[in-house]
Amino acid sequence: MIRGLVRTAFFVAFCAVIGPAYAQGPLQLASDVFVEREIAKPDGTKAKLLEEPKTVVPGDQLVFVVRYKNVGTATASNFVVTNPMPRAVRFDGTADGAELVSVDGGKNWGALATLRIAQSNGGDRAATSADVTHLKWNFNQPLSAGAEGKLIFRGVVR
Amino acid sequence: MDNIFAFRRNNRPARNHRLALGTSLSLLLLTVSAPAFAAGTVAGTDIQNIASATFDSPVGPVTIDSNTVVIKVDELLDVTVVTTDPGDVITNPGQTGNVQAFRITNTGNGDEAFSLVANTANGGDDFDPSLQQIIIDSNNNGVYDAGVDVVYVAGSNEPVVAPDQSKTIFVITSTPAGVANGNRANVSLLASAVTGTGTPGTSFAGQGQGGGDAVVGSTGADAQASSFLAVQSASVTLTKSATIADPFGGQRPVPGAIVTYRLVATVSGAGTLNNLAINDPIPAGSTYQAGSLTLQVAASPATTLTDAADADAGNFNGTRIAVSAGNVPAGETRTVTFRVVIQ
Repeated sequence: MIRGLVRTAFFVAFCAVIGPAYAQGPLQLASDVFVEREIAKPDGTKAKLLEEPKTVVPGDQLVFVVRYKNVGTATASNFVVTNPMPRAVRFDGTADGAELVSVDGGKNWGALATLRIAQSNGGDRAATSADVTHLKWNFNQPLSAGAEGKLIFRGVVR
Repeated sequence: MDNIFAFRRNNRPARNHRLALGTSLSLLLLTVSAPAFAAGTVAGTDIQNIASATFDSPVGPVTIDSNTVVIKVDELLDVTVVTTDPGDVITNPGQTGNVQAFRITNTGNGDEAFSLVANTANGGDDFDPSLQQIIIDSNNNGVYDAGVDVVYVAGSNEPVVAPDQSKTIFVITSTPAGVANGNRANVSLLASAVTGTGTPGTSFAGQGQGGGDAVVGSTGADAQASSFLAVQSASVTLTKSATIADPFGGQRPVPGAIVTYRLVATVSGAGTLNNLAINDPIPAGSTYQAGSLTLQVAASPATTLTDAADADAGNFNGTRIAVSAGNVPAGETRTVTFRVVIQ
């Protein structure tokens, strides 16, 4: 609640000054989604292309890219990026495996292999990528002014 | 990774990208329940992605959201057709109202209407039945209910099938009179998505359920299956033989000799021959021997039939014997015997 209030306050104050540009301020965060298509090349090999998601149907492979940049003048510390998985998308791994995941809507976090799902019969089972509800990246080093990077994860349309 | 950015430099944002300050959207996403369809996410569903970041700034902890990317799931057009007949559907020469059953399944992810075409003139078979009607199993009981299930009229009542659901279709045909026992006919049903068909990947802009595009899936958005009619008519052959016993212990056809006629009706083919009647006139120059008429059903012992036209199966009317042998399954025989005396 407090976090939400802070966010809203920040947002309102910000809009009053600059107007409706998004993710401005000391840090920029941008999300993009691409569809990975496999096309056959004339020489018989296959190549993978990232396309704008003009048409997307179940089974399509999506690539999510979250770009961040510290555009302020001060170092940002305790930098954490969170991305809920869209419900219609099954998580399919990240580029570096550095993420933490949640399989319970963001309550508990850990590496996927350490998480378990409660079963209706009272037991539990190992969580799979299909159970992932949220992704989170904890940056263990401060993000200095001007620093930027991107986080990439993949998903399949359910 | 670099190609991602190269791509962004060279291309305009797609129309489905919507930029928004999704403060409330990110919270909403946590509570929306998952659409659980085996055929996949239902067409028209929006995939919304938003990332958020928190960090400590000189003025305190800050949370920011990214733009929200919204992608609409398009409609996948896919269908399968199978016949639900357990084997050949048995027919007879000239029979009308042959019923063959097919099941069409929408393996796409949107509600889709399917047009239906029955083909009774497939090659590689023995005869072409005449199409009478295509019937939609409108009460979904899997059984053709004449007068209850709805007649399909092309362009008017294409059945709409929900994702992962099936509809049973009956093809009603008649068999030509001139077909021979054992002949088979291939009757096929083709179901095609009304939105469109084509090579997989073909798309129809804006025609998908929920406002997105419709995209032809791996089935080509049409499918067909065959069911076979088989003529299994029963036929009968009648064999007549005679044995002679003359008054002198010999076998010569002299006056006073007793001739025993034996009529064997053999039903072959398949199915049942109904109302088999065996008649035989008494030959000129001979006299029927009263009370000599017998009927043998298959391998059972022969029973004697009275000459009167009464409850039993046979009679003698003065000029001929007649036996009503009833319904005879293929593979069985009925044997009639009677005696005459040569005048």
